[in-house]
Amino acid sequence: MGNGAPFVPGRVFSKVPGVAYLLVVLAVAFAIFESRFATVANLLNVGVQSSILLLLALPMTLIIMTEGLDLSMGAVLSLSTVVMAFALVNGHSVVAAVARGAFVGLAFGAGNGLLVVVGRIPPFVATLGTLGIAQGIALVATDGQSVVGVGARLPALYRATWLGVPFSIAVATAAYLVFHTLLYHTRFGTYVPALGGNPDALVLAGVRAKTYHMAVYALGGLTAGFAALLLTGRMNSGHPIAAIGMEFDAIAAVIVGGTSFERGNGWLPGTVLGVLTVGILKNGVDLMEVPSSLQVASIGLLVIVALLVDQLRGRLRGRA
Amino acid sequence: MIPEKKAEKTPVVEMRRISKHFPGVRALDDVSVSVHGGEVHVLLGQNGAGKSTLVKTLYGAYQPDAGEVFVDGRPVRIASPADARRLGIAVIFQEFSLVPYLDVAQNIFLGRELRGRLPGMLDHRRMHEEARRLLAPLGAGFATDTLVHRLGVAEQQIVEIAKALSQRARVLVMDEPTAALSEREIRTLFDIIRGLKAEGAAIVYISHRLREIFDIGDRMTVLRDGRNVAALRPAETSVDELVRLMVGRQVTTTYRQRFCGSPGDPLLDVRNLHSRSGVADVTVSVRAGEIVGLAGLVGSGRTELARAIFGADHRSAGSVRVGTQSLEGGPSAAVAAGVGLVPEDRKAQGLALIRSVRDNLLVAGLRHLFPGGWYRPAAAARSAADLIARLAIRTPSPTRLVKFLSGGNQQKIVIGKWFTAGARLFIFDEPTRGIDVAGKADLYALAEELVGQGAGILLINSELPELVAVCDRAYVMRDKRIVGHLGRAELSEENILRLAMHHG
Repeated sequence: MGNGAPFVPGRVFSKVPGVAYLLVVLAVAFAIFESRFATVANLLNVGVQSSILLLLALPMTLIIMTEGLDLSMGAVLSLSTVVMAFALVNGHSVVAAVARGAFVGLAFGAGNGLLVVVGRIPPFVATLGTLGIAQGIALVATDGQSVVGVGARLPALYRATWLGVPFSIAVATAAYLVFHTLLYHTRFGTYVPALGGNPDALVLAGVRAKTYHMAVYALGGLTAGFAALLLTGRMNSGHPIAAIGMEFDAIAAVIVGGTSFERGNGWLPGTVLGVLTVGILKNGVDLMEVPSSLQVASIGLLVIVALLVDQLRGRLRGRA
Repeated sequence: MIPEKKAEKTPVVEMRRISKHFPGVRALDDVSVSVHGGEVHVLLGQNGAGKSTLVKTLYGAYQPDAGEVFVDGRPVRIASPADARRLGIAVIFQEFSLVPYLDVAQNIFLGRELRGRLPGMLDHRRMHEEARRLLAPLGAGFATDTLVHRLGVAEQQIVEIAKALSQRARVLVMDEPTAALSEREIRTLFDIIRGLKAEGAAIVYISHRLREIFDIGDRMTVLRDGRNVAALRPAETSVDELVRLMVGRQVTTTYRQRFCGSPGDPLLDVRNLHSRSGVADVTVSVRAGEIVGLAGLVGSGRTELARAIFGADHRSAGSVRVGTQSLEGGPSAAVAAGVGLVPEDRKAQGLALIRSVRDNLLVAGLRHLFPGGWYRPAAAARSAADLIARLAIRTPSPTRLVKFLSGGNQQKIVIGKWFTAGARLFIFDEPTRGIDVAGKADLYALAEELVGQGAGILLINSELPELVAVCDRAYVMRDKRIVGHLGRAELSEENILRLAMHHG
């Protein structure tokens, strides 16, 4: 799970994480047992469904690399759909509405960063708190109801395709490229694994480690808020609990993708694979009409299997 | 040739009359050291002599209470590591300042990344080129895009040196750089150091290996109890003299009333023990009534041995017998056999700080006290009160939270905890760290009482005067092996140091 030049083929191949095998196994299994799975329309659907999850999983990867966690992402995303929908209902442009949703996300992310870095509250606790706050605000503002009447512009944008590529997949791809550049080609990205792996080294190197640490959380909130663009577009409305619990799918995807909570070990391409694996799993069990409660269990099982496969491979290489 | 030139040159760095106090400790008292360009200056001293404090002061991690630092003859203030770096001072710490999941080049340039043409982007190609250029003369056999966590200790050391060189450091402080290196790697390191010297670098070198400092050192400063005791040149001195200077004349405190004349039955019998943590071929024994020391420098394997005996680290070969029982498996088997480990870090490993004195005292003995599984408060209170009296624990009440007690009293609770569990063999790992003199005397009185009642103690203590004052005999460790055994008559700081350090 390299961090330096991540696309040297030999390096990537020697370290293909367990998730890649899982992805192939799942896809082949569903293709064999479910005739509706391996169609262009359905696979595009998997991509669309995975887009929002990827937007959460990308910043979640960075946060987990700092040995942190953000449980508030689903609640912040939900709140942002509400904010965005209200803005559209009030006649603001799509850009202005997205900006408002993203700003609310940024505010929550910055708050998380302050609590964790300056307040020294463990990330689990701090973001659990902001989860409650975001959810509470969204519920109060909407009385628990959907915010409808967002007009036609956002849904039209969401339904648009470029060369057959749905809007949400294009947005998710762009987001990946931004995060990839950020993590592997900027100072900020260099400091992310250092924050998790050896923060003292950063301080000794004269880096303002706390600022960067807070920025990681702020980026998480910002991206979660921005993701409301896709979720609001898909629902044609804002909803106060639309994305509740999605942070757990994101965390699962990141872990399945080979990022560990230890010493800054993380790999962004793996997160894409993890998101696709979770997406295919959800789609497949959906097609096979597995009850929704069992779907949740299937993701839990996926995480455990992925980690066991990686453990085993590590042990086989003699470095468990 | 101008032979006088070198002697007249201003030192690159000079620390003049530095003092630093910590609560209860005079870590540095009027210490002066200077280093010239092209010179390796060796700092020598026992654990706690003040070497680390001095280095941390030079690196801006500590601020001295008094004294001045000069760089090139000009007074400077080093308020932070960043200041030190600007002045060209680099420290290679024993714990490396490397990031495990960044590659070699990223680590070398951490905090000073080279920028590319596009705004905000890094120039990876140029950083890798520069890194290769820096590493080539150091004989590095790894690629610059290797993640650092995949490198061995010696290789990481080379990365650290390259990192220091990339900062154009003129003063390089090396804190025990050879502690984890093999003979061949040490020779490579020394070649590197000689190369740096030839280019005019000033090097401060800290090591416990006496032989190598004669190889590499140009001048030596011996510190003891936070003071300068000698400044020498290798040609003018000997291993014996250095050991004598490091030990000095200590104020001896009587910690032990009566030594053990006739030890009883064997309590601990360790034979040819090997552990996964590196302990190699260790044979030691403790008999009833004895306090047996386990001496050695930091990192010599004493804690690893204690943990292996206790079963906290995996034993790969050899046998451990406690009394007549052969120990197999983990700590619970050791506890059942009557072994009590009083760990190095009592706050983290030995105590529940936010629980009461009573709870802490009884936790290990619950099975003993209440075999049926029912907790009877009245019986618990009786046992706790009894223990508090017997161990002379100073606490206002048995329900006082442990975190409010002094270090010495906390340590007694850890010991008392094992006492309730029925322990007969105690392993004390640095029991007096951070405890004042009165607390120490108390603790050793308790230790003596324990052995008087037929217990045995294996004592790890880096404070050699204490070890010598308390133990009936001692084993000395080095490189995770036992390298010597000293009976009461031969037990002295000099003899321990001579065995514990590398030379010959």
